[in-house]
Amino acid sequence: MNNLIIGPIIIPIIIGLVLVVCRNSLGLHRFLSLLATVLIGLAAVLLLEQIRTGGMQILNLGGWEAPLGITLVADMFAVLLVLVTALIAFCCLWYACSSIGMGRERHYFYPLCLFLIAGVNGSFLTGDIFNLFVCFEVMLVASYVLISLGGTKIQLRESIKYVLINMISSFLFLVALAYLYAITGTLNLAHLSIRVAQSGQGGLMTVVALLFLTVFSLKAALFLFYWLPGSYSAPPTAIAAIFAALLTKVGVYAIVRLFSLVFYHDLGATHLFIGALAAASMVLGAMGAVAYDDIKKIITYNVVISIGFILAGFASFSLVGMRGMVYYLLHDMIVKALLFLSGGTVIHLTGTAKIREVSGLIRLHPQLGWMFFIAALSVSGIPPLSGFIGKVFITTGVFQSAYYWLGGIGLFTSLMVLYSVMKIFMNVFWGHTNLTEETEKGTTQGLLPPIVVLTALTIALGLGAEGIHEYVDLAVEGLLNPNLYTDAVLAQNGK
Amino acid sequence: MSWFYPIMSTPFLSALLVPLLYKRFNSRIHTGWFILLVPLTIFCHLLSYVRMIAFRKTFNLTLPWIPSYGINLTVNIDGLSFIFGLIIAGMGFLVVLYSIYYMSRHKEALDNFYIYLLLFMGSMLGLVFVDNILVLYLFWELTSISSFLLIAFWFERQNSRAAAGKSLLITIFGGLSMLAGFLLLHIITDTYSIGAMMSQAEMIRSHSLFIPAMILILIGAFTKSAQFPFSIWLPAAMEAPTPVSAYLHSATMVKAGIYLVARFTIIFGGTSEWFWLVSGAGLITLLYGSISAVKQTDLKTLLAYSTISQLGLIMTLLGLGSAALYFDSIQEGAIYAIATFAAIFHMLNHSTFKGCLFMVVGIIDYELGTRDIKRLGGLFHLMPISFLLTLAGSLAMAGFPPFNGFLSKELFFAALLNAAQMPIFNMPYWGTILAFLAWFASVLTFVYCLTILLKTFMGRARGHKLKKKPREASMGMLISPFILAALVIGIFFYHQVFSQYLLIPAGEAVLPTLSGSMHIEVKAWHGFSTELLMTLGVIAAGILLYITMSQWLRIYNYYPMGLTLNSLYELFMEKLEGGSLAITKGFMTGSVRHYLLYILTFIILVMGAAMLLLKGISFDSSQDAVVSFYELALLLGMIATAVTVLLAGARLTAVIAVGALGFLVVFFFVLFRAPDLALTQLVVETVTTVLFLLCFYHLPQLRKESIPIGSKAVNAVVSVGVGMIMAVVALSANGLRSFAPISSYYENAYVLAGAKNIVNAILVDFRGFDTMLEILVLTLAGLGVYTLIKLRWAGGKEDEAA
Repeated sequence: MNNLIIGPIIIPIIIGLVLVVCRNSLGLHRFLSLLATVLIGLAAVLLLEQIRTGGMQILNLGGWEAPLGITLVADMFAVLLVLVTALIAFCCLWYACSSIGMGRERHYFYPLCLFLIAGVNGSFLTGDIFNLFVCFEVMLVASYVLISLGGTKIQLRESIKYVLINMISSFLFLVALAYLYAITGTLNLAHLSIRVAQSGQGGLMTVVALLFLTVFSLKAALFLFYWLPGSYSAPPTAIAAIFAALLTKVGVYAIVRLFSLVFYHDLGATHLFIGALAAASMVLGAMGAVAYDDIKKIITYNVVISIGFILAGFASFSLVGMRGMVYYLLHDMIVKALLFLSGGTVIHLTGTAKIREVSGLIRLHPQLGWMFFIAALSVSGIPPLSGFIGKVFITTGVFQSAYYWLGGIGLFTSLMVLYSVMKIFMNVFWGHTNLTEETEKGTTQGLLPPIVVLTALTIALGLGAEGIHEYVDLAVEGLLNPNLYTDAVLAQNGK
Repeated sequence: MSWFYPIMSTPFLSALLVPLLYKRFNSRIHTGWFILLVPLTIFCHLLSYVRMIAFRKTFNLTLPWIPSYGINLTVNIDGLSFIFGLIIAGMGFLVVLYSIYYMSRHKEALDNFYIYLLLFMGSMLGLVFVDNILVLYLFWELTSISSFLLIAFWFERQNSRAAAGKSLLITIFGGLSMLAGFLLLHIITDTYSIGAMMSQAEMIRSHSLFIPAMILILIGAFTKSAQFPFSIWLPAAMEAPTPVSAYLHSATMVKAGIYLVARFTIIFGGTSEWFWLVSGAGLITLLYGSISAVKQTDLKTLLAYSTISQLGLIMTLLGLGSAALYFDSIQEGAIYAIATFAAIFHMLNHSTFKGCLFMVVGIIDYELGTRDIKRLGGLFHLMPISFLLTLAGSLAMAGFPPFNGFLSKELFFAALLNAAQMPIFNMPYWGTILAFLAWFASVLTFVYCLTILLKTFMGRARGHKLKKKPREASMGMLISPFILAALVIGIFFYHQVFSQYLLIPAGEAVLPTLSGSMHIEVKAWHGFSTELLMTLGVIAAGILLYITMSQWLRIYNYYPMGLTLNSLYELFMEKLEGGSLAITKGFMTGSVRHYLLYILTFIILVMGAAMLLLKGISFDSSQDAVVSFYELALLLGMIATAVTVLLAGARLTAVIAVGALGFLVVFFFVLFRAPDLALTQLVVETVTTVLFLLCFYHLPQLRKESIPIGSKAVNAVVSVGVGMIMAVVALSANGLRSFAPISSYYENAYVLAGAKNIVNAILVDFRGFDTMLEILVLTLAGLGVYTLIKLRWAGGKEDEAA
């Protein structure tokens, strides 16, 4: 039992509620919301150390032992994601302080973000599949409000689609839960794992697993991604960056958790299928990314590509592939935030997202330009930046599992990624300068520091991959050995 | 030895210092003077190894990077990496020196220029010394990136940007392919070390992934070394400042592919696949490059094609030399090892004479403002030193004595003649054709060398076509090409020294099995051998072709413009973007109906296929309770109300039907003895129905949509399909209750939680956390409604946020 585990969920909720009440003090809003992310980060760091030395940490809420109550489980994989979530939330909120505008700030922007983060962290930390549904709801409803916050025409148009599609997928989630409960009679993930292993993953169970996969694919934008480019282009930069970095990753997390802990007995049906969906996402995403001349479109399609690549690593279900998956997932969260923030800053400065309309920006904003350049290299997995090690391991793992086509697609799309983002760099930052400081639509004041932090992170994570290898390896060990998870959750019953 | 890492990292470290130096000193001192120290230090440091290398000593050093995964900066200094290292540092020094006079400190962004150049120098050195394939890949990509930045150094020019983009795309494509090949090798051998792989060469050759790994790695080498058909980026890269062209795009970076092929010969060599792929690609490139070079009128482009052709020549030699590994006996192998030796020799020579030529062309461009040979001519009197330098460079390239190119060209012919005698790899059939083609390419090489020399410096002076008045370049600018020209002649006369200390150790590093048996006779004069006759033939045919050039050059016009590699590339990129756009727009319609159709069709296909293929569906109703009359009646009522919603023409009808459906569910709760749930449901249904009715007042009339019958049919099929699948799975899951549900535990709620109502106990105690979060969801929804109404009305003006 470790009460610290609930910290990352409850801290943002409490601070968020306080902020809802103290509506008028914007300074307090900014300070407390940043503080909340720092506290979450600290909790995550403490948990990382505890897990490293003492194994997975458990919290039975209300003292009701698993599988009867709700259990929170902090394993290495989840806590790594919580830590990166805190880092990204910190940077995005910091960026928002100078960019989001008073109107949105006054209308609960910070509390909404904090609630969203609570939902995200809850999804990572919960050990109960119904609670996962509830955490998804918290996250989604917060995202509904955030996407429409401000009520511009494009926001309202896109949020209707976004809400509708997510409602449908939530409904499907519930249906899948009902099926699963009917068959197994339990909701605790560890207990589910044991029961599915006992009865064997029969045909029907696999069908139900595929329904879960459909639901999470919708959330993760794995193949079923068409809702994403529109809705991620609608809100302001800070919100889009949070969405791109975090929301889809929660879907990825759910797929990884469920298909490594519960439904891992019929790899030929489920994991191969995940691999096929991953390949389709990469190909279709790459097509979208090279097709458009619009910064927002290009980078949103890049979100889709990376989801495919991460799950390709998972589909290999080998030690190396999973290790790559963890590295790449952490990298991708950081670099997507970086890409969205730096790309968004360009749009903020120039007032347009069309890359043919801007040129020569590097003369006016060299720091921004070079950070975007680093981001562009990093998303394509160029060494020694953070994407490299994950790319190498994912490709190796996929090759080892003899999915050569999948590895080939992964590598080829990384070239398309590079092409698509370099196209932005070459058109927007190079060429004759067609703007002056006077004709710019905005300033970079206050916007660059968070981008600097993220850039430093992507460099540090690449050069210092050794520094986190112990955590990553423990995370992979936990994912590949479901009994570690089930023992940690259920063994205490005997005590 | 302990100084190796610090010294090799100086390019990167000094790159960090460049902005400071530039800011502080640029007004007085050209930044290049500081940078000059870097390659000089490295060159001197490397020279200190020369004796040890000559005695075939190799060194291994390790600096950990990611030791847990076996990814370290392990270094292997042997003859091959040594000669490359010397060329990189030596040319680096000369190029920086040249750039001090070429790049104006008043006009150019020198800080950027030297940062990129140092980044390249460091990466290139790393590339040739490192033993770990992943680190090699790291440096490989860094050279591509720095080349990209240098090509687009004048980024305001559209052509520079396009050329940079093209080179980046092609070289990174090759890099990724090479990475894939490396990873396959890693899967075969379970190591990242090239040295360790070499010791497992036998095992690698028998592995089923051998051929894929070979092809993938070769694609990497061919793209970087501009082999056909990946060569198109190199002529385009001539947009870069000339020091860059001289350094990266003739002397060093384009040799990375050569290095890679040489390095991996020991693993892949001795097989017919490697032999034919490498020498075949090389020969085609040799021909393609020389055929294309002849017709060029821009001196730099001409040199670029000649570089392509020369790289093809070196590649051919490496391919031919790999045959040495096929033979078990050292004597037999040594005959073919001449080719390998010649490859390295020519690689060295090419760096000297091509570097010299590039620098002179740079001088001409700098002094006259053009490099178009149609505007040039008669510069012999005006620029005599440049003329002499060009003379040395171009005649060396043409294979004329007393220049170093003559020696390696002779060896090239010797290697071809040896190979033509080879009893293996189908060479008895192809050998003579190969030799003839190579000879023909050499003739064309001779022709374009004459073009460079004669069209520029001889003939009529055409001063009126020039922007500037021609004059000889400054001393400083001439130093570097002069040193190179001196080397061109020096190597010819002192070739034994170079052989002993550099070339043979390098050759033996490529073919370690032949260690000690490489006694290669390099002679300027060895009687009237076949090689010499071939050279004489080249000279005669070359002069003939040069004289009659205007007659036959017209043949090129018959080649369709649309089929050049460049137009094919452009077409491919256009189709890639256009096709992607068409496909993406095809399914990204923005219509919610389509998006829902995708989801539901996906469910039907995936779950339907899984149900059929995995045979998981079975119905077991033995556990089910008997359906009572009331339940049946309620069920029918619910179906009726649900259908009413679908068919309702007015909104009011639909809402009432939805409400009715909800109230019927209430009765189910009553039947199943859950009065509290029934009450809750009753309240919820009442409130939502009332809310609906209240909102009605503000909504416009429901208009009858005219939906095409086809869409209606699709809708019907999909919805019936989804409904059926959901129902079948539900019934099937209901029949397969494998375990007792945990709910029985909660029946003891009074003892456990002191609650007489199980539902309440579950909601607020057992699963209280869920309830708390659901309350948060409600709060959020409330905030959402509030902000949606308030912020929009308060705003109305333009969006203020970024």
